[in-house]
Amino acid sequence: MYQSFIGLEIHVQLQTKTKVFCDCPVTFGDEPNTRVCPVCMGYPGVLPALNGEAITLGYLLARALNCRLSPVSSFDRKNYFYPDLPKNYQITQYYQPLGRDGFIDLEFRKKKKRVRIHQVHLEEDAGKMIHAGDMSLLDYNRAGTPLLEIVTEPDLEIGEEAELLLQELRRIVQYLQVSDGNMEEGSLRCDANVSVNHRGEGLGQKVEIKNLNSSRFVRKALTWEIARHQEILDRGGTVTQETRLWNENRDQTESMRSKERAHDYRYFPEPDLPPFRADQPFLEGLEERLVELPAARRARFREQWGFSASQVDFLCDQKSTADFFEAVVAAGGAPDQALFWLAGDVRKLLKRSGGDLLTSPLTPQRLAELLDLLARGRIHGKIAKQTLEQVFLEDRDPSAIIHERGWKQLSSREELLPVLERVLEENPLPVEELRQGATRPLGFLMGKVMKATGGRAEPAAARTLLQELIEAPRRVSSVQVLSFGGAIAGTRREDGMIEPGDLVSLAELFQADPELPDSILFEELRLGRFLSEEITPADWATLLVRIAGTLDQGGVQGIVIAHGTDTLAYTASLVHWFFADTPVPIVLTAGEGPPGEGSRGESGENLRRAVLCAASGSAGIHVVYGDTDFLPLNLKFERVDSGGGNSFRTWNPEELLRSGSSLAPVARGVEQEELTRCLEEVLGQTCIVRVYPGMRGDILVTLMEAGIRCFVLEIFDRGTASLREGPFSLRNALIQGRERGVLFFCTSQQEGVVDFSGYVTAHALWREGAVPMGRLTTESAFTRLVTAQVEVLCEGEARSRDAWRERVLALMED
Amino acid sequence: MDPQELKTTAAMAMVELDESGVAALAGAVDQMLEYFTTMAAIDVKNVEPTTQILAASNRLRPEGAHNNNPANTVARADAVLEQAPDLEDRLIAIPNVL
Amino acid sequence: MNNKTKALPRERYRSFLEHQDRAIGSFLEIGAPGVWDCAPGNGSASGDDPPRGECSGENGPHLTDLPLAVKDNIAVEGYHLTCGSPMLQSLKAPYTATAVEKLVEAGALVVGKTNMDEFGMGSSTSNTPLGTTVNPWDHSRVAGGSSGGSAAAVAHQLVPVALGSDTGGSVRQPAAFCGVYGLKPTYGAVSRFGLTAYASSLETIGILGSRLDELEAVFRVIRGEDARDQTSRAWPRGDDEGEGSRDDAPPGTIGVLQGELGLSPGMEKSYRATQEALTDLGYRLEPVTLTTLDYTVPAYYTIAAAEASANLARYNGIRYGHRPVFAENPGELMSSARSEALGEEVKLRILLGTFVLRSGFQDQFYLRAQKIRTLIAGELDRVYQGVQALLMPVFPCQAFLRDQEEGMDSFRQKVADRFTCTANLAGLPALAFPAGVQDGLPAGMQLMGPAFSEERLCRVARDLSAVFPLQFPGTSRSFSEWRQGSDAARGGS
Repeated sequence: MYQSFIGLEIHVQLQTKTKVFCDCPVTFGDEPNTRVCPVCMGYPGVLPALNGEAITLGYLLARALNCRLSPVSSFDRKNYFYPDLPKNYQITQYYQPLGRDGFIDLEFRKKKKRVRIHQVHLEEDAGKMIHAGDMSLLDYNRAGTPLLEIVTEPDLEIGEEAELLLQELRRIVQYLQVSDGNMEEGSLRCDANVSVNHRGEGLGQKVEIKNLNSSRFVRKALTWEIARHQEILDRGGTVTQETRLWNENRDQTESMRSKERAHDYRYFPEPDLPPFRADQPFLEGLEERLVELPAARRARFREQWGFSASQVDFLCDQKSTADFFEAVVAAGGAPDQALFWLAGDVRKLLKRSGGDLLTSPLTPQRLAELLDLLARGRIHGKIAKQTLEQVFLEDRDPSAIIHERGWKQLSSREELLPVLERVLEENPLPVEELRQGATRPLGFLMGKVMKATGGRAEPAAARTLLQELIEAPRRVSSVQVLSFGGAIAGTRREDGMIEPGDLVSLAELFQADPELPDSILFEELRLGRFLSEEITPADWATLLVRIAGTLDQGGVQGIVIAHGTDTLAYTASLVHWFFADTPVPIVLTAGEGPPGEGSRGESGENLRRAVLCAASGSAGIHVVYGDTDFLPLNLKFERVDSGGGNSFRTWNPEELLRSGSSLAPVARGVEQEELTRCLEEVLGQTCIVRVYPGMRGDILVTLMEAGIRCFVLEIFDRGTASLREGPFSLRNALIQGRERGVLFFCTSQQEGVVDFSGYVTAHALWREGAVPMGRLTTESAFTRLVTAQVEVLCEGEARSRDAWRERVLALMED
Repeated sequence: MDPQELKTTAAMAMVELDESGVAALAGAVDQMLEYFTTMAAIDVKNVEPTTQILAASNRLRPEGAHNNNPANTVARADAVLEQAPDLEDRLIAIPNVL
Repeated sequence: MNNKTKALPRERYRSFLEHQDRAIGSFLEIGAPGVWDCAPGNGSASGDDPPRGECSGENGPHLTDLPLAVKDNIAVEGYHLTCGSPMLQSLKAPYTATAVEKLVEAGALVVGKTNMDEFGMGSSTSNTPLGTTVNPWDHSRVAGGSSGGSAAAVAHQLVPVALGSDTGGSVRQPAAFCGVYGLKPTYGAVSRFGLTAYASSLETIGILGSRLDELEAVFRVIRGEDARDQTSRAWPRGDDEGEGSRDDAPPGTIGVLQGELGLSPGMEKSYRATQEALTDLGYRLEPVTLTTLDYTVPAYYTIAAAEASANLARYNGIRYGHRPVFAENPGELMSSARSEALGEEVKLRILLGTFVLRSGFQDQFYLRAQKIRTLIAGELDRVYQGVQALLMPVFPCQAFLRDQEEGMDSFRQKVADRFTCTANLAGLPALAFPAGVQDGLPAGMQLMGPAFSEERLCRVARDLSAVFPLQFPGTSRSFSEWRQGSDAARGGS
């Protein structure tokens, strides 16, 4: 087993107006050699004049990276000849940098790490050399741009961590306004040192990789390079100490093959610049320029509003987004709604208009106003979306737009009455049926109302008024019961086998029940006639679209889903990932046989309890079985015939929540056909593999070749599996998977949290890029993975394999 | 300094030294280095090096002091660029046969 | 001094310079009058006044029409900036040095650029293929260096003052060889912006002049803090003696070196004569021994070469300067450019400097030299608690022969910097002054003082000028003399 060591040298271009040693402007993309002067062109007789802002920003970043700040920092000359380096020495800091011994805290896939910063120093950038045929062309506009070099200790182990560190550093420099942090424009550049060795044998032969101009390249190059080293070591070879370049076209590192002249930079103190003394007033000035850094802000957002990791990652990625969000909340917007809109429609509209949040017509006050109108039922979701679009187009307040267009929702009795009366007049037959006690025509009439008002009728108000006008039996609650197959809706044949059937009429079932209040209005929907082991992607799509529709329309007290026991753990968790933010109870229940057979898993009894739970108004997703109200996640059905009977049990119940935010805000808005297609596609490329002693790693490769892109690996204990050499090791499969962009998510065959701690084999899994699923069971992890992929598909963006991988991982991260 | 060492040093200094160049300079280099070694005779224990004499206190250039007129900047750049031996538009060209 | 002086007749002055300089070759370039004040077309009215500037006025010094020659390693827009090197033979300065800018602002006229040893590396002004400068006193002898062109121009009475640069004695030694005054100011007192760097921590722009009051007037104009040189220092507040100069030493005490100094008989005689003169003038002489004196030259050359190796790395034929006819790649281009266009002495110092900085050798050479520097500065600090200034010879001998066989070899020239480079290592001011003529050649002595004691050094030198009046070589004629002669030749038209 191997150990890898990665250290980064990161260059950050500072956001100063002028260059570090002369007053040429610092700009990007100008005509070549227009931002040069005798000083930055290295003319005879010129002298450097240190830019005060550059050294201040340098100290500021060193401070933010927890460095020990140098009371005196000084400059040195680094001597080497290169055409793009005007003086043929670079003014840098070698003996007394700005700061030393800092750190950045990272967490990658459950593994927390403090990456030590060796030092932070200020230096000047070189020009650019472009090759053209048999000559090279030099542009010195960049020469003399202030650069901060950040050197880490070799504390990183894998490419992903290096990528994460760069992203975090980008956020930090942007938060501090030290740099624009733009890797594409070269404001943030990175060289990496990597070495691999057998575990416990210390550092190996070091290789330097240059030309890493995006955080993605950093990850890919390091992953590739570590694999190369391991291959060499596998063969018993030795890695050559050298400098390599990342070739982004061929996705590999390549030896520079230049004459490896021993570097001797002959550093010596720069005689032209006096040392800088960081005195007390200067240090106090730094404190004033510090801001709450991204990590602290993410932690606060999680704490303050209970957001998930990926949600705070989104909110805190850009300081402007986090500031905007907090301003919306301060202006009265509900935090979860503010997040939902910022992550959804606002982001989409910004992308469309090509602008950013700070300069867009949407102000925090306007978004807060929109959320307020929505919360008070003055408009509904669809109108809110339209209004938001108009805000972007017209640069006006939402209330003004709504008022002018007459988009206000109809919720008062006066507004609704004329419409309802007309609908009742036009539809005498359903009205009559309702009066007789039928429930189904109510939905039909509501549809007519919506049509008549252009969707502006407030559903709950309309429904209540409708019942009142019809003078239907007085019922205050309405519960929708969705029959989704299973024994609970089945019938027992003469030979004792259960076959699919229709749910027993609820009215019938409950009529006999004296305990059941008569104030519940049932609405039954049969979504399928199958046993729960027969569920297809289309069935799930039908269910999800139906729930989404009901929640959208509103006016329902709760939803009950009658299901089979076999696959309930899947469906319950799937519903959770889609609808964790449901304002009304969604209750799943099951039975071991058709209703009326009488046992602990008695279907009729379960159904009755489920309906009661749905009518209780307790938000979130419930699984009701026997006398227990289970969480929708981590269910395991246990057949314990002796004693208490069969029932469910929840694995790792601590930390699990009944509600949260939806993982699939986009997917739940699509049409049924589309969702079916997505689910089919996703289920076709996702696979659960339960590992076992003696399992050949090739099996996974075969599955990859058959099109599997995501695995849920059900492994052992807290996340261990065979990672030894040879055919029974997963290592080869993991390496191949990585090359193909395949994802591995790990759950355990035992109850417990999978976090890859405790065993070297677990750490090796982490190094090879497997994702630990923490407390989730295989079923819950699987449906989460399905939901995440469906969401990514529905987001509809054309993504590279790499970007797809990123997005899925982001949705799986928490 | 042996000839190889001299050549290594010359390469670092980007000065071409062929055999005759080595021969011409070797004597003078050796003479000076030998002279430099006389420094070994003085005790410098616990002595801090002086890299800057009479070092000034913090000297910083304020950001606001820059020339805001882009035309002036370009004119200054033009004057500097004029001296380049070989220009391709505004880029300085050097041979590079790969 | 409020009398309005008539403007200098520029065209005639220019032809005087061209004509007279033929004998000594002090200039590399004499400017068209239009560029003298960097304002072409500012007129060259005719007038009959001698080329003498008007010095000092109510609101700071005025140097109206003071002709000034500038060493060719100091940037003056409108002129070349060759630094005496084929590498920069074609280079036109795209900017002007701060010191020159101040002088032009005060009314001075930059009439031309003077010859020098390539990049200031030498003591003869013979280390350059760009021109031949001779000593005006004896054309078979060197003018000294590296500011030999400036010294010769002043001694030959072509200009009253000239700027030079002093890295290890490059102002004082040629001043001594040519019999004029030469001031090496305190490090940082004059901005180095525009002075082509040879050894940044050692060098400073200096002034050569035939009259102390003009030299001082020029110094007062050019000194002071410059935003473009962050190693420059504000001139201490208060009187011109300055707060920075030490006054803990008893007034009128001058230190003199004890023991065998290895001087030529002429210099020995002159050193004794100067001491006697000082005693006669009422100064009290204190014997001083410098224990670090034997280490100054190796330490100086180690540091100078090290800094030079980096400072001269920029000359690679890419952005300006000499480019070889043929090269296949950047490496070849740079190394050919440097090999073809840098002189042997320059290459020698670059190689030495590169070597003493190499890892494995740096501690033994460069770092040790910097520590010796600390010891030297410390010793001088103690010396100046007992004396107000130190009297020393400038060079162990008078101007040597230009002939390479009969003259002084390049190694001995370096070793002979022992009296001058001390001031550079410690960053202290020193003033070379003429101390009589021995065997037909000027003999120069120098006064070295604590930081910012320039005015005091000038006062002592002024006292001594009563004993050693300024002498010019027999062949030189000043502008007024020349003009009278040429007017007569034209029949007084």
